[in-house]
Amino acid sequence: MLTPLEIEIITLSLRVAFWAVLFGLPLAIAAAWLLARTHFPGKALVDGALHLPLVVPPVIVGFTLLVLFGRQGAIGSILYDWFGFSFAFDWKGAALASGVMAFPLMVRAIRLSIEAIDQRIETAARTLGASHLRVFATITLPLALPGVLSGTVLAFARSLGEFGATITFVSNIPGETRTMPLAVFSLMQMPGPNDAILRLVLVSIAIALAALILSEALSRRISARIRGSVP
Amino acid sequence: MYVGILRLMLMAHRFGWAAMLGTLLCLTVSHARANSVLVFAAASAAPAIRAASASFTERTGTTVTVSGAATSTLAQQIVRGAPAQIFVSAHPRWINHLAERNLIDQVRQTTLLSNSMVLIAHRDSSLNTLNPASRSIAAALGKDGRLAIGDPDHVPAGVYAKQALMTLGVWNSIAERLAPAGDVVTALTFVARGEAPLGIVYRTDVGLSDAVHIIGSFPPNSHEVVRYDIAPVRANTSDTATALLRYLTSEAARPVFERFGFIFLPKT
Repeated sequence: MLTPLEIEIITLSLRVAFWAVLFGLPLAIAAAWLLARTHFPGKALVDGALHLPLVVPPVIVGFTLLVLFGRQGAIGSILYDWFGFSFAFDWKGAALASGVMAFPLMVRAIRLSIEAIDQRIETAARTLGASHLRVFATITLPLALPGVLSGTVLAFARSLGEFGATITFVSNIPGETRTMPLAVFSLMQMPGPNDAILRLVLVSIAIALAALILSEALSRRISARIRGSVP
Repeated sequence: MYVGILRLMLMAHRFGWAAMLGTLLCLTVSHARANSVLVFAAASAAPAIRAASASFTERTGTTVTVSGAATSTLAQQIVRGAPAQIFVSAHPRWINHLAERNLIDQVRQTTLLSNSMVLIAHRDSSLNTLNPASRSIAAALGKDGRLAIGDPDHVPAGVYAKQALMTLGVWNSIAERLAPAGDVVTALTFVARGEAPLGIVYRTDVGLSDAVHIIGSFPPNSHEVVRYDIAPVRANTSDTATALLRYLTSEAARPVFERFGFIFLPKT
């Protein structure tokens, strides 16, 4: 049904999205907790900056990444000279672009669910001698799990669909950075009818739908469990 | 959302549907104004077409908008009904693709320009010359460098580059080391920015960036003749478009194209 080339494109897309979310998630949880539970000068600015990828054109994000992490970029050149590590024309660069674009979605979802937690529960735990870390690990995080989950799924789906920042930052290289949207875009440049486009479109829709249904089911289960344990 | 639509409907009611539709219609057809021409030109030819059109604008007052992208991209946009009036293709395959669909006026189709392929490197690169026929391209790319070319699946410059590399017998050594670009100017940019150490572009592209220089030339017989055809798009033809096409293919335009380094082909 799918050609080996299409399977390669799909597995590459899944790999890019997986690593984008894996690296983004701990940072997103930290950022969400900071924004939900602490006050510090310049918080509005940090909040705004974190949400920038949601509102600036993806191509601008891609260009910024190129300037910072490209082979000649401010950070990219150091990474290359010291560690021989390079994002340029590499799937790891695609994962970075997807992760940056999806980051605000994770932060938003997690932050909302942290803010929804009754702070008196956390305070009670503190008065009983639990450390900040223990309160976070045993109360805040478990209660915020539905938000963490929906944020993760949303970010995963967004990563699979990332186009503008990716093509600007790491170009469109078969087998390396040509993810599903980029492959569809490339196929559109070719003459004649193209069944491959239709197949990739159907696969994209199927993956996205499956992810959404899974997250809905999981989040219902988690919510039920939380209701069961917190009277 | 709903409030917006309601407000729009109320406005339409107040000012009359006719006026509303008229305004919308004006907005959509403004491209086809009598004194302007929209040209879709291969990315490599767009700067020269733009320069040649500037003197046409000076003489006639006609505004010329030149939209440059990969020939393949532009051809697909024309198939889908883009309002281009003139198409400049960098490879016969694409203008033939439109001709088969009866989308261009073949009677007025003219072969306009020719070009050649060169190997480029960044200005600061230690490489000054490299014979493309030797197997040294792969070595010059280093451990993980890539060769920037137009996407050989559809971008004309990439098609020519692939042909040349195959003829010279070095394609297999670098097929996995490419950085394919959506159009040839993007391939040039990869090298100019230092992201890719080497690239293959048209000789005329090199003038677009101070940051690159030519380190080798491909023999003309190593690939198909680079052929730029120009033709009117049948669905959007107009007198001004015809006049522009006639100007671009006349002796008056020759100096401009030659200044950019193209071989000007129309015989007059």
